Amino acid sequence: MKMLAPLLHSYWYLFRGAGMTLLMAGAAVLPATALGVVLALVHVFGRPMARAVLQVYLFVVRGIPLLVLLTFVYYLLPLTGIDLPPFWGVVLVMSLYYAAFMSEVFRAGIESLPQAQWDAARSLGMTRHLMLRIVIFPQALRLAAPPFVSQCVSLVKATSLVSIVGLWELTMASREVVERTLAPFQIFIGAALIYFCICYTLALYGRYLERRSLVGH
Amino acid sequence: MLADLHFLARVIPALLSGAVITAELSVLTFLICLVWGLLVALARTNHGPLGWIAGAYIQTVRNTPLLIQLYIIYFGFAMGGFPLSGFMSGLLALCIQNGGYVAEIYRGGLQSVSQRQYEAGRALGMRRWTLYTTVIMPQVIARVIPPMTNQAISIIKDTSQVAAIAVMEMMKVAEVWVESSANTYDVFAGAAIIYLVLTSIAGFIGKVTERRLAFAQ
Repeated sequence: MKMLAPLLHSYWYLFRGAGMTLLMAGAAVLPATALGVVLALVHVFGRPMARAVLQVYLFVVRGIPLLVLLTFVYYLLPLTGIDLPPFWGVVLVMSLYYAAFMSEVFRAGIESLPQAQWDAARSLGMTRHLMLRIVIFPQALRLAAPPFVSQCVSLVKATSLVSIVGLWELTMASREVVERTLAPFQIFIGAALIYFCICYTLALYGRYLERRSLVGH
Repeated sequence: MLADLHFLARVIPALLSGAVITAELSVLTFLICLVWGLLVALARTNHGPLGWIAGAYIQTVRNTPLLIQLYIIYFGFAMGGFPLSGFMSGLLALCIQNGGYVAEIYRGGLQSVSQRQYEAGRALGMRRWTLYTTVIMPQVIARVIPPMTNQAISIIKDTSQVAAIAVMEMMKVAEVWVESSANTYDVFAGAAIIYLVLTSIAGFIGKVTERRLAFAQ
C-alpha cells in the first residue's frame, strides 16, 4: 500500500489532466470528422485537379509524424504574429492531421457500397444530393463507423504528444507529479490506466458497432 | 526568403545523421515485431490462459499511448535499478507497442485462410509444423503485406516520439537545431522531407514485395 501512496495522493490531479485530454480530443475530433467527410466526397466526386491536390495532402500527412508538425507549429506560430492560443493551435494541427485519416475511412465506406445502389438511385431519378442523403450516406456511415472509432482511439492516444510541446493534459500532469514524487513507475502506470479506460471504452463501442453493422449482411 | 547555403550545409548532415538513428530504430523495430507479433498472434489462437494473456497484452498496448509506455520503461526501469539507455528503452517501447498491432494484422491473415485448408492438411496427415510452413503461412504472408507496409510507415513516424527521452534521432536533432539557430522553417522542412523519403521507401518496398508474392494468392 505504501508503494501506491504517490498515486493515491495525486489521482485527482491526474483526473483533471484526463479531463483536459478529453476536451482536446473532443475539440479535434469534430472538425477532423467534418473535414474528413468533405475530403472523402472530393475523392469520390471531385475534378481530377482537386483529387490530385488531395492526393498530395494525404501523402504529406501520412508520411510526416504528427510530432514534427506539432513542434513546427509550436515554433512557427510566434514568428507569424498570429495570436492563436496554444490550445487552439494544437487542435488545429490535430484536426488537419486526422482529417486525412478520417477521409480514408469514409472513402472506403462509400466505395465499398455495391454499384447497384448507385444505379438504382439514379434510375429512380434522384438528384445527387438526394441520393447521397437517403441512399449512400446512411449505408456508408454504418460501414465506416468501426474504423472511425479506431481513429478516435488513435486520436486520444495522440493527444499525449502535445505534452512534448508544453501543453497541459494527462501526460503532462503525470510528468509534473513524477517530478514532485519521484515515483515514475506508479504514476505513469496510473496515467496508462486512465488512458486505457478511455480508449478501451471507445474500442468496445467500436466492436459493438461492428457487430451491429454485420447484422444487415 | 532564400535559405542560407552555409546554414544548410551544416544542418543537412546533422539531420541525416539523425535520420540514420531513425532508420536503425525503425528497421530493428519492424524486424523484431515481425517475429514477436507472429508469436503473439499464434498464442492468441490458443483457447487456454496463453490466449487470454496474448489478448490482454494486445488490448493493453493498443489502448495506451506509446509516449506513456516509453516513460514507464525509461524512468521506471531506471528507478527500479536497471537503467536502460535511451535507444534501448525506445526500441523496447516501440516493439511492445507495435507488436500488438502486428499481432492483430497476422490474426486477420490467419483468419482469412479457410478452415477447410487446415482440415485438408490434417486429412493428408501433415504435421502441424509442415501444415503451417507449407500451406498456411505462405498465404498469410502474401495477404498481410499491405497492412504490414502501413504498419512499417507508422513505425517510422512513431520513432519521432523517442525524442522525448533525448535519443538523438532526427526529431531531436531538428529540435536542437531550431533552438540554437532559430531557423525554424528550413530545419523542419528538411526533417519533414527526410521523413517523407523514408516513409516513401517503406511504401515502395511494400509495393514491390506485394507484386513479387502475388503468386501465393
